[in-house]
Amino acid sequence: MSARITTMMVSRNVLADINSAAARLDHTRAKSSSGKELTRPSDNPYAVARALRLRQTLEGTHQHQRNASDAIGWQEATEQALSEITEAGQKARDLIVQAGNDTATPASRTAIAAELSQIIQTIKEHGNATYAGRFLFGGTETQSPPYPAADATDAYRGNDGLIAREIGPNVSLAVNVTGPEVLGTGQTGLLGVLRTAVAHLAASDGAALRDVDVAALDGQLDRLMGVRADNGAKSNRIESALSRLAQFEESTLSQLSETEDADFAQVMIDLNSQQAAYNAALKSGANIVQSSLMDFLR
Amino acid sequence: MPISSFYGLQTSLRGLLAQQRSIDITGHNIANASTRGYSRQEATLTASDALFIPAGAVQNGAGAHLGSGVDVQSYRRVRDTFLDLQFRTQSTALGGNAARSEALDRAELALAEPSDDGLAAQLAQFWNAWSNLANTPEANQPAARQALLSQARALGDAFGAIDAQFQTVGTQAQEEYDATIGGELKSIAAEIADLNLSIKKFVTAGDSPNDLLDRRDALLDRLSELGQVSVSNGAEAGSIIVKFGAGGEPLVNDAGVNPAWTASFTDGNGRLGGLLKIATETIPSYRASLSGVAEQLAGAVNAIHPGFFGFTAGTATGAMKLEPLLAAGDIRAASGTSPGANDIAQAVAALRGGAADSGYEAFVARLGTETREVKRQVSNGEVLTRSVDDRRQSVSGVAMDEEMSNLVRFQRAYQASARAMSTMDEMLDVLINRTGRVGI
Repeated sequence: MSARITTMMVSRNVLADINSAAARLDHTRAKSSSGKELTRPSDNPYAVARALRLRQTLEGTHQHQRNASDAIGWQEATEQALSEITEAGQKARDLIVQAGNDTATPASRTAIAAELSQIIQTIKEHGNATYAGRFLFGGTETQSPPYPAADATDAYRGNDGLIAREIGPNVSLAVNVTGPEVLGTGQTGLLGVLRTAVAHLAASDGAALRDVDVAALDGQLDRLMGVRADNGAKSNRIESALSRLAQFEESTLSQLSETEDADFAQVMIDLNSQQAAYNAALKSGANIVQSSLMDFLR
Repeated sequence: MPISSFYGLQTSLRGLLAQQRSIDITGHNIANASTRGYSRQEATLTASDALFIPAGAVQNGAGAHLGSGVDVQSYRRVRDTFLDLQFRTQSTALGGNAARSEALDRAELALAEPSDDGLAAQLAQFWNAWSNLANTPEANQPAARQALLSQARALGDAFGAIDAQFQTVGTQAQEEYDATIGGELKSIAAEIADLNLSIKKFVTAGDSPNDLLDRRDALLDRLSELGQVSVSNGAEAGSIIVKFGAGGEPLVNDAGVNPAWTASFTDGNGRLGGLLKIATETIPSYRASLSGVAEQLAGAVNAIHPGFFGFTAGTATGAMKLEPLLAAGDIRAASGTSPGANDIAQAVAALRGGAADSGYEAFVARLGTETREVKRQVSNGEVLTRSVDDRRQSVSGVAMDEEMSNLVRFQRAYQASARAMSTMDEMLDVLINRTGRVGI
């Protein structure tokens, strides 16, 4: 005997089929309206874990980009101050060369000494340059000037602490240059050399100015150039890190999109075929459930 | 031996009555076409006891049996008890998985992943806040510290909220479990015990109380959704002993509802087993995993910045607590006292993508995998349960077309019996009214 097909079976199966067609359609519709392939962890647990990891990576990349931009700002301010200091140093050198001439009189040397003292103050001001409220050359002592104007000993008040910025995963870069590298402390370094020159000017010691001070100042200016070159190299490193980060961001974004986003062409095709299947289920259900032997008996 | 002239009338009458009963049964079937748990019935007809004519009835002088029509022998319930067993096994498995699927679904929703404001996003923001503090570590720029503190609070709240939702899922499962044991289960057991009593009476008297049997079977079906059911025949005819769950004592025995029955379910079997597993195994294990992630996070941050996070593990009645213990001004960016140093903030920011993140990702993946597995089992179970139920319906269900053709068949048979009776009547009319009236 073949299987009996009973009224309840037919109606229940039709209903179950319509329900499952509607559920599939609903799922696809959710994909098309949200644009996301993954809406819950159970959609694809592995892909969701991967998406979370990619999102975390992306956030990290954005943060590294922000850190690097901040580092660039710091570098630019440093370069600005260094170039001002160099310029002042050059001007001081010209004055010292001029004062070293035997034609210079003690009176003119006194006048030059006064101008040189002004230049020392200017250089100290640049040594106290700030970026976003932080002293650039004080090491990690960013809240107090490394070379207070009133302090004639020119002692460095900062420390040799490094200020680091994380510009990549496990890539940390010290962005600051400390005062002693630039201006020295006390009697050493650029300020010391200039102070000595002022003393020689006051004593009107032309030979010392010619033979000692110019050479010493040249040495300091060369050192300054070295610091600037170093700083420029750091800037380049940060710039290239930024462009790497941009590439990395793009590739992470595209991976994330591949993992998370719905394939619209596929979704639309699915949507249409499921819509058709759903309509067919509705139509055949309506036809089957309605007709019975009763329609044909007199 | 002479045979009564009215003998044929009786034969036709039996035919009329039997066809009438069959039509009655067909009507009963049609009326119950959509009754849950109803089994179709049919009248079993047999030829009635023949009239024995001792000798000389036929040419060679032997005796004979002269047919006397038809009798309704019984009203039979068409049902295959083997399919009932299969259905109940499937229904038990489905019930357990469905309960777990519903709970895991809610647990999964609590995570709200992947999204822009789930816990993973909060973690990312938290690391960002540390990085921002590293960029502006000076105490006179409090914005970074304030932002870090707010973000740490938001992160702690996110952990706490998920844990609280998990806890609610567990509590609801436990409550439903208790309510079902104390309510629905009790009433089903009582009803089965009552039906046992009635059925016993009828069966002892030799009757087959079809509709009562159907009702008892429907209750057993419902019971099988809640947990594992095994049925055996009781000592008295018609009564059954129902074992429910994993305990040794039956739920219903010959005497009625058994007070010695104890609730015990193994391995998530049936809705009650599923609820119990959710409340006592699954949810506690998820909460432990999530607590593990939070504790790991607090430990890693505190190892670098002592005393930053306070962590209290969740209990059965309270959600876990992860909160920053410091005021914004007390957050330290560096181990030394220099205002511009940022070694602590850098070190904490470097924890991004570390054990806390991967621990949480692994947890999300685990929850997702288990939820998907249970959902798959539910949809498999639905297909299996439906196919067994289809086979059961194929045997016991009412097919309208069949009932219609039966109706035609029985109606025709009734008409034919009536025709036989009128033939008999005409015959007697000839005999009574026209015979022996020669010459009148």
